[in-house]
Amino acid sequence: MTSKEKIQQEIERTLQSLDGLKRAEANPFLFTRIKARMNKKANGWEEGIFSFVSKPAIAIAILVIVMAVNGWALWGSGTSETIAGDGNSPFSELANEYNTVASVSNYDYENMTNE
Amino acid sequence: MVYNTILGIVQNETEAEDLAQDVFIKVFEKISTFKGDSKFSTWLYRIATTTALDHLRSKKRKKRFGFLQSLTGSGGDEQEQVPDFHHPGINLDNKERAAVLFKAIDSLPENQKSAYTLHKLEGLSYRDVSEVLNTTVSAVESLMSRANQNLRKHLEEYYNKHYR
Repeated sequence: MTSKEKIQQEIERTLQSLDGLKRAEANPFLFTRIKARMNKKANGWEEGIFSFVSKPAIAIAILVIVMAVNGWALWGSGTSETIAGDGNSPFSELANEYNTVASVSNYDYENMTNE
Repeated sequence: MVYNTILGIVQNETEAEDLAQDVFIKVFEKISTFKGDSKFSTWLYRIATTTALDHLRSKKRKKRFGFLQSLTGSGGDEQEQVPDFHHPGINLDNKERAAVLFKAIDSLPENQKSAYTLHKLEGLSYRDVSEVLNTTVSAVESLMSRANQNLRKHLEEYYNKHYR
């Protein structure tokens, strides 16, 4: 048998090597993974927002903003009392008009009327 | 059947598993567009084949880009050596031969590769293959004949190089 014939024989045998091939089975956890991905898709935007907010950088940024707003609110309420106290600013005028000055409570008002 | 088809085309078990997941997600999302004109299995095979071929195309694009980057010296991976693919359904006697054949199949043009994989690996008839590929039976026959010719040519080159 010449080498050319041998090569032809090899080619034929190689082409037939897929005969009797068994179907490849997927990983048994494939279905679980698909189900998890489908659930994730079904939850949609809620999942997206949660995953966005739970990123450390975003979470820290939100915390800093919340603390800053808190600080500003506390500082702002402290200064507004002094503003209301001087009796000249538009804030104090508004406070007087609606009887919301911190130093005058309903209790004091009742005491005043009793007198 | 989805996993086996994708595995035959992409020839990588991890990638085939990820793509099989993608296929089922696509089916889940687009089930409302299935009109029932063809068999459900045909529709499923079509999505699987398209997904696998799209993946190969994007992989080739990335490889080409990596090659260009390596030429310009701006980074990029070196040309990776593709390992031999061993299909899990092949019996041990034919393992090496089948690996050589799979390498040859990988060099086929897309449509020939799809037709060959669906017919040889999935055992679909020419009629079923033609429905999946949305073509005629005679076109599939022609694709198979050209695929066989190309495979013979590739194997001849291989055995001329490696045969002792």
